[in-house]
Amino acid sequence: MSIKQGKHIAIYGKGGIGKSTTTSNISAALANAGYRVIQIGCDPKSDSTTILRGGNDLPTVLDTLREQSKVRLEDISAVGFGGVLCIEAGGPVPGVGCAGRGINAAVEQLQELRVFDEFKPDFVLYDVLGDVVCGGFAVPIRDGLADRAYVVSSSDFMSIFAANNLFKAVNKYAPSGGARLGGIIANSILAAYAPALIDDFAGKTGTHVIGYVPRSLVVAQSELYGKTVIEAAPQSEQAQVYRNLAKYIDENEDSVIPKPLNSPELKKWAREWGDRIFEVETGVVHEMASI
Amino acid sequence: MSHHLEASRNSCALHGALQLFEAIDGVVPVIHSTSGCGVQHYLGVTRLSGGNDTFGSPPVSSSNITQKHVVFGGGSRLREQLKNTVKVVQGELYAIVTGCSTEMVGDDIPAMAREGRDQEWPVIYTNTPGFGGDIHHGYHLALKALIEQLPDILKSREEIPSGLVNIWGIIPNQDPFWRGNLQELGRLLEGIGLVPNLLLGNGQNVASWQQVPGALLNLFISPWGEFPARLLEERYATPSIICEGVPVGNAASILLRRLTDRLELDPIRTEEFITREESRLNQQFARLADSYYRAGFQREFALVGESAQVIGIGEFLVNSFGMLPRTLVITDNPSESIQEALDSRLMAILPGYCTDVLFSEDQSEIHDVVRAGQPGIILGSSLEQEVAVELGVPFLALSFPLFDRIVLERAYAGYRGAAALLEDLGSAMLAGSKYINEAS
Repeated sequence: MSIKQGKHIAIYGKGGIGKSTTTSNISAALANAGYRVIQIGCDPKSDSTTILRGGNDLPTVLDTLREQSKVRLEDISAVGFGGVLCIEAGGPVPGVGCAGRGINAAVEQLQELRVFDEFKPDFVLYDVLGDVVCGGFAVPIRDGLADRAYVVSSSDFMSIFAANNLFKAVNKYAPSGGARLGGIIANSILAAYAPALIDDFAGKTGTHVIGYVPRSLVVAQSELYGKTVIEAAPQSEQAQVYRNLAKYIDENEDSVIPKPLNSPELKKWAREWGDRIFEVETGVVHEMASI
Repeated sequence: MSHHLEASRNSCALHGALQLFEAIDGVVPVIHSTSGCGVQHYLGVTRLSGGNDTFGSPPVSSSNITQKHVVFGGGSRLREQLKNTVKVVQGELYAIVTGCSTEMVGDDIPAMAREGRDQEWPVIYTNTPGFGGDIHHGYHLALKALIEQLPDILKSREEIPSGLVNIWGIIPNQDPFWRGNLQELGRLLEGIGLVPNLLLGNGQNVASWQQVPGALLNLFISPWGEFPARLLEERYATPSIICEGVPVGNAASILLRRLTDRLELDPIRTEEFITREESRLNQQFARLADSYYRAGFQREFALVGESAQVIGIGEFLVNSFGMLPRTLVITDNPSESIQEALDSRLMAILPGYCTDVLFSEDQSEIHDVVRAGQPGIILGSSLEQEVAVELGVPFLALSFPLFDRIVLERAYAGYRGAAALLEDLGSAMLAGSKYINEAS
């Protein structure tokens, strides 16, 4: 393999938590800052880069495998907002085939096409679907493909659970040259307790939160226009949040091997938070508490 | 504690299913897997079993899937392969077997078989990933597919003869003497007025399998026959008789008497048959006596093979031939409960005598225990020859893998099998004695 071009970042998180939106906005912000960026959607749904390229159709890397035709980079990539090179790995239709192997095959195909040598990116962002359910979805953080992984999580328990699973995968692969964890991107922050909850989880697992993205109408609105917030509402506060995230990822090389909680620890932690939130909601006043 | 396994004699489930299907005339297996699974069956199994495989390797249909079928699913490739196979290869029954990768992906095999049947092709299927179990498991899966699916596809046109007995538990090639053994067992059953359903080899075909539900009894002669017998008992309430080892010599008499009792056959006919066969065998024993004492046949032996062989041959050598069981190694990895049952049976072969009994498929472990026993002769697979050479003792190859003997019709089962075993064993002893005499 040739010398790696640019910083390679993998972004994971539970399905529907806002990975593609967050990744696309970070890509857009990095591109606005003058960097050459590639975003690779590693999800059979092939919708990672939609809001970077106005929702146009894009043949996926794996489509080329299906057709078994000789492919060129131009056939499977599109230049999106700010010059971001958009690539979708693609995969099988739901219920058949093996999406995990698909990720593997797509990455191999990209290496064969020498995408990184040709494009010479400063940043490559892998937007990887859902939970790390099997070995295939761990490909971007194995084999030294990505340098760092970030996880997008809300304060919902299932989202934290998925993040904890990613930590297990990082913990397994990092010692043998796999990606280390850059941190948590706290997304869809609405409830008052949410930042404290995610901070607490980060503390317990030996990592930290690199930014808090509030739940915002601007995001929903921009997506409906098929755009990133950076493009649709560059002056908005939300755009600034994404720019700050991009700046952090650009400037910080910090990474750790997280210490995931085991199953009983995670359950206990969640129950304690359940009690705490209940008390806040119902106004329980503890002895010695200052009112 | 886990340890490494050297030269296992038990190939994968896919191969077990292929063993069965390839032994039935008119059955055309269709492998749905990556390329290599079929040829591996030839290289690692059929070619190593007495040198009687199809010339050059069996022509077997395979979907030979590639990466795109793994990623997007291989169902359509299988559909195409099945369609082409039906066009090119004439068969009475097409049997889909699957490999590891297509099972990992989760291709919908039943749906593909159903599509074939909708086209009025006789198609059965069985999911046989290698990781699901070894060759014996695959033999079970293929049997299950035939027993459960065949009646829905081909309505029986055959008249069921009265007194039909199905014979189970002999796995083609895994027992290199399977053809001959089945034939001899068939001859024994015919001798007492039964009609044997051999099911495999010897011109057995799909019609033989259509007769299975109408049998009077299921006879299984290895632990691996218990599963189909149970399946048939549940489905058709057919009773069964278990004979844990291949019956060799006088053990055949015991089996024939059991069958006669159980099926209320004519005991006079049975006794006449037994007397005729036993007296012939006894005459052969008498003719062998001179060589037996001159060359010192009564010696300690090590026997390595599948459970049915070790029990059948082991009991014969001890009970009828006066040999001493120093080491018995069972290589087919039976379940723990069966191991316990076999253990107690093997220990009873010669009460009070110190016999090492080992259940193992690891060549290094097997060779260590055989070597440590310092036997006077070794009977086992071709792999055991090196220990025999090392110890300077005679050797007879009789279990899988068998790559230095040709076995076409030879049997070690029954009375004739016993005589064949005496010939081979005696010849090995004499050749060994000559070698030892010359060496000294």
